[in-house]
Amino acid sequence: MTFYEKEINRINGIIYSNQEQIETVIGVKSYIDNNYENDLNLDLLSRFRFISKYHMLRLFKKHYGLTPRQYLIDKRIEKSKEQLINGMSVTETCFAVGFESLGSFSTLFKTKTGKSPSEFQNEQLSRSKLYSEF
Amino acid sequence: MKVTLISIPVQDQEKAVKFYTEILGFIIKKDKPLEGGNRWVALVSPEWQDGPELLLEPGPNHFEPCKVFQDALMGAGIPWTQFNVDNVDAEYDKLTKLGVEFSVKPSKMGTWKYAVFNDTCGNNIELVEEL
Repeated sequence: MTFYEKEINRINGIIYSNQEQIETVIGVKSYIDNNYENDLNLDLLSRFRFISKYHMLRLFKKHYGLTPRQYLIDKRIEKSKEQLINGMSVTETCFAVGFESLGSFSTLFKTKTGKSPSEFQNEQLSRSKLYSEF
Repeated sequence: MKVTLISIPVQDQEKAVKFYTEILGFIIKKDKPLEGGNRWVALVSPEWQDGPELLLEPGPNHFEPCKVFQDALMGAGIPWTQFNVDNVDAEYDKLTKLGVEFSVKPSKMGTWKYAVFNDTCGNNIELVEEL
């Protein structure tokens, strides 16, 4: 066994000893993955897993390094890129991935990707056009 | 400031380009000659071509401490670099069929699934799937 494997096993035993907690946070993450387009809130997420809201929030942050809300936003932005590449309009995309206001979607999109949704879409579309031309 | 590039030390650039493109499936985004037969070769993921570039850096051949560090990591089985995948098991099956050697088979650790393979250029690489 390499030094790396020994270390991994040692650390695993210390920080991942509570299997039930891990299954809980994996369940919450997978719930977000499958329902990101809906109006999710922490109460709903914790009720679904039968744990208190703040306990769930702490556990999620501990295991994934970001809060469920931050994870949800990242998920929605990632999904919105797919929709924009597929040619969906910016407004439709915004609501399809679960955002409630076009303004907050555009601002978040720009912060997360460095481009506005329409800039991103134009760039992607002109790129695929370029590929087909050359 | 933006993070757009990560470097990976390789002992043979030619061989590294072949392994990283033909076996792992990365594509060459930039390739330009430098002095002494060295190249600036930067790769990207086919499914994320705007993403960070991976620079195949011939450091171990030109700077001894780089080689010492790389060899020590290899000897200890430590992966310095990791790539995210959607499914570690599927990548493991695909890559083993292509002859890639894994020092750690797909394993679970907390909210992660991971595996470690030898990139044939002096490095252990970890594949990671977030569960």
